[in-house]
Amino acid sequence: MDTRKRAERRLVSGIGVSGGCAAGRLFFLRSEEKAEDAPEKSAPTSSEEEWERLSVALEKVKTELAVLAERTQTSVGEEEAGIFRIHGMLLEDDDLLDALREELFRKGKSAEGAIEAGVDRFSAILGALDDPYLAARTADLADLAAQVKRALRGISSAEGAVLPYPCLLVAEDLSPSETILLDRSSLLGLITFRGTPSSHTAILARAMGIPALVNVGSLDPLYDGETALLDATAETLLLAPTEEEELAFLERVERERRIAREHEAYLRTLGERPALTQSGRRVLIYANIGDGSETENALAKGAEGIGLLRSEFLYLGLRELPSEETLFHAYADVVLRMGDRRTVIRTLDAGADKQLPYLGLAEEENPALGMRAIRICLARREIFKTQLRAILRASALGRLAVMLPMIVSPKEVEASRALLSECMEELRAEGKAFDRELEFGIMIETPAAALRARELAEQVDFFSVGTNDLLQYTLAADRQNPLLAQLCEENAEPVLRLIGEAADAIHATGGWIGVCGEMAADLRLTQRLVSLGVDELSVAPPYLPSLRRRVTECE
Amino acid sequence: MKEFHFTVGDPNGMHARPAGALAACAKRFACAIRVRHGEKEADAKRLLSLMSLGARCGSTLTVQALGEDEEEAARALEELCRVQLGAPKGKET
Repeated sequence: MDTRKRAERRLVSGIGVSGGCAAGRLFFLRSEEKAEDAPEKSAPTSSEEEWERLSVALEKVKTELAVLAERTQTSVGEEEAGIFRIHGMLLEDDDLLDALREELFRKGKSAEGAIEAGVDRFSAILGALDDPYLAARTADLADLAAQVKRALRGISSAEGAVLPYPCLLVAEDLSPSETILLDRSSLLGLITFRGTPSSHTAILARAMGIPALVNVGSLDPLYDGETALLDATAETLLLAPTEEEELAFLERVERERRIAREHEAYLRTLGERPALTQSGRRVLIYANIGDGSETENALAKGAEGIGLLRSEFLYLGLRELPSEETLFHAYADVVLRMGDRRTVIRTLDAGADKQLPYLGLAEEENPALGMRAIRICLARREIFKTQLRAILRASALGRLAVMLPMIVSPKEVEASRALLSECMEELRAEGKAFDRELEFGIMIETPAAALRARELAEQVDFFSVGTNDLLQYTLAADRQNPLLAQLCEENAEPVLRLIGEAADAIHATGGWIGVCGEMAADLRLTQRLVSLGVDELSVAPPYLPSLRRRVTECE
Repeated sequence: MKEFHFTVGDPNGMHARPAGALAACAKRFACAIRVRHGEKEADAKRLLSLMSLGARCGSTLTVQALGEDEEEAARALEELCRVQLGAPKGKET
C-alpha cells in the first residue's frame, strides 16, 4: 500500500447509531467465537422424535429469552426488554408452530431444517412488505432460528461472547441477544460491517449508551488488536492513529464528557427560550437527523426545528427503491413528532459515498464529482417524483420545507420546481392534501452556487449551506483524508466568504439562510457565521446545548 | 358477531410491539377474532399474521369477534387498539 492509499483507508465511515466517542483496541469477533451453526443432521430420526427434540429446544430458548428480558429490564429498560418478550411470543406463535409441524411431518425435515425453513417463510413475508422497520425484524427472526439451532446442539445462548480485553468490538453483524449479552464493563464501542439504524441491535446500543457505528463495509483483520479511535457522533473510525492523534482524541473525549455534564445542568435551567445574541438577534438552533427515532433526543436537547433530515437512510440497505408509502410514513413520523416546528427535508443525496446498488449506476472514476444527488434525481425523474410526492403529502401534517442538494445552476432549480408543480397537480387531482405554501430551498454546497447566489435567491425561499461539501469543493481537498485535515482546518476563510455572499443574496430577496455542515458545530466559528448573517444553525443533537450557549455569548 | 373499525394513528403502524400486545389480549378470549386490512385477513391470536397485515399509519382495520365472549373481547381489543396504535408515539401534546 502506498502512503496515500493507507491514509485514505485509515478513516472509515459508517452510520452512527448512537453518539459518543471511545478509544481502545479493536477486537474482531469471528464466527469461531460466535457459536457455529450446526450442520444439517446427517441421519434424521423419525418425525416424532425430531418434533420432541425441537419442542425441548424451543422451551429452552423461551426460558433463555425470559431471562434475557429480565436482565434487559434491569440493566437497560422496560422498552428494550420488550424486544426479547416479543421474541418469546414468536416462538409460541401458532403461525410459526404450524409451519414447523408442516416442515417436520409433511416434508420430513429435521428439527434444524424445520426451524430454518419456518423462519425463512416469515422473513420472506415481512421482507416483502416494503416497510424498513418490518424488514429489519427479519434479523430478529434469524437470531431466533440461530438460538434454536444452538439449543438443539445443547449449547446455551445465555452467555455472551468473551471479550478478552476492554475493546471496540468489531463484528460482521450482531444479533440483539448477542448485543445485550456483551460484557459491558469490557465493551467500549461497537462497530459492525452491516446493520441498519432501525435494527434492534442499534436500538439496544443507543439505549445502553455505547458508541456504535454500523454499516462500515468491512475492516481489514490486520487491525485486530490494534488501537483505534471511534467517534460515533462524527460517524467515523480512525484506524492506527498516531500518538498525537490518540492523545488529542482522549483529551477531546474527556473535554466532551465534562461539557456534557455541564450542559445537562445548563439545559435544565435554560428550558426552551429562543437563542438570542448579546445584541438581541435571534438565531434558530436546529438539529440534523437521519430518521424519526432521533427527534426525541433532538427535542430533549432543545432543537427548535430540524435543519437537515437526511432522507437517504431510507434508501440504504434495501433491494429496491422504497415506495411512496414507505417514504410518506417515515416523513410523517418526523413531521408529526415535530409539531409546529419546521422540518427541512433534503431530497435524495445518493451517489459519491452513498451508493445505492439497485440504481444500477455506472462506476465512476471520481464519484465526488460524478452522478450524485440532484443530478441523479433529474436524470431519473420517476425516483425524484416518488420522493417529492411523499414529501408533499407529509407537508399536510405539519411544517415542512424541502431542499435540493448539490445545486450548481438555476436550470436545475427550475427543472426541480417544474417536477414539484407536476406532483402538486397530480395530488390535487387525486384529492390528496398537501401544503400549497411548502417552503422550497437549495443547498449551497458548490462554489458555483455561492457565486451565483443572487440568481438562485430569486428562485427559492431559503439557502442551507452544506459546509462539508462546500469546503471540499472550494479547497479541492478530501476532508476524509487525514493528511489534509490541517489544510482544511486552516482554510475556512474562503468558505466563510462564500457563505457571506450567499447570505447577502438571499437576504436581499427576503429569504433566510442556514448552515448545516460541520462548521455549524464548530464553536470557534459561531461568531463569524452569526456576523455573516446566518439565521439558522443546524447540528447533530449532541452539539445542540453547547451551540445554544455559544450563540447567546455572540455579539 | 361484534365488529369495530379502527384507523391506525401510530406512525410506526402495526409493528412487533403493538401486534404482540394485540395477540396476547386476543388469546385471553375463547371467541374467534379476525382482523381485516384491505384484502388481507389475520387471526388476531397469531402474532406473525398480524405483522404480515402490513397495516400502517392511516390504515383502517376491521376487527370481528365471533363466539361466546365476543362482546367483552371486542371491547377489550378496541380499548387496546386505541392505547397501542392510536396516537403518534412521542408526539408532545
